[in-house]
Amino acid sequence: MNISIKQLFGRKRKSSSIAKQRLKLVITQDRLDVDDRFMTRLHHELAEVLAKYFEFSVNSVQMSLKQEGNSYVLVADIPYKKFHDLNPRQ
Amino acid sequence: MGKVIVVTSGKGGVGKTTSTANLGTALALLGKTAVVVDADVGLRNLDIVMGLESRIVYTSMDVIDKQCELSKALVKDRRVDGLTLLAASQKNNKDDIQPEQMKAICAKLRTTHDFVLVDSPAGIERGFSNASAGADEAIVVTTPDVSAIRDADRIIGLLQHAGIEPINLILNRFSPQLVGNGSMMDQADVLDILNIDLIGIVPEDSGVITSTNRGIPLVYEDASPGSQAYMRIARRLTGQRIPIPDLEEKGFLSNIVNWFTRNR
Repeated sequence: MNISIKQLFGRKRKSSSIAKQRLKLVITQDRLDVDDRFMTRLHHELAEVLAKYFEFSVNSVQMSLKQEGNSYVLVADIPYKKFHDLNPRQ
Repeated sequence: MGKVIVVTSGKGGVGKTTSTANLGTALALLGKTAVVVDADVGLRNLDIVMGLESRIVYTSMDVIDKQCELSKALVKDRRVDGLTLLAASQKNNKDDIQPEQMKAICAKLRTTHDFVLVDSPAGIERGFSNASAGADEAIVVTTPDVSAIRDADRIIGLLQHAGIEPINLILNRFSPQLVGNGSMMDQADVLDILNIDLIGIVPEDSGVITSTNRGIPLVYEDASPGSQAYMRIARRLTGQRIPIPDLEEKGFLSNIVNWFTRNR
């Protein structure tokens, strides 16, 4: 994740922008009082539910908390392989 | 009635004591009366940074224990009119003082001074609660690195919870060169994360080390960039409107980009 065009062309990302991105994530978690255990649990339980609906690799799921203005947004990035057929025709 | 301002940071070593010493001195140089209070009981340093370490007789602990009057515990800085120091006890610890007792000291000091600057210890425990107990306003000092900014955010949350307002930010040890080559977050990055008002940027200045060695606050030296930055912050504290200069060193390319965007 987070591969920018610059990285694709072999140029390293500035460390200041990496610092900012890392800080934003950790501070959002600090402010919400959300720890790694919470996120891991949410990750697993969400994956369990989603597995009922489509096929995906659990390790490919990326979840993060972001602050947008005054509110927090939970962003989940789930590359799926295919949807399960929930109403199979007999 | 003066203002009580707590100078704090969360993380240690980012320049709280240096900032307190320089702002107190700068305010006195501007003709205000200022008292700097060391709230770091057990690990006092404001006295040595200001060069007043040989003149401490009484501390805030003696005032609380009623061993002496508050006015008698104040050490007058002889280099400038209107500046005094209230030292912390070195042989006690933070738990020997109650927030209410610090509050009472600050309440008394504000009746006789324009500014009461309280130098908080690092951390979020008792020392911080004591230091911020009597404060109306806060100055949070941070450096542009991940650990200092994260801790600053934590402290800002605690200050907001305590109803302390406004909370102003000093961005310390800022290096225009490092920002220019993308190795250091710039002011916009830091403000975007912390979301409080910036009261000044203090550039990295080796003069801070030599002035601390001598016990002569940097603001006595006019020419140093750090000194000028602290003088500007002190003026802003007195209510003067002084724009924050752009310290960033722009590269050749971004100068061209700026030139085009400016003319649009």
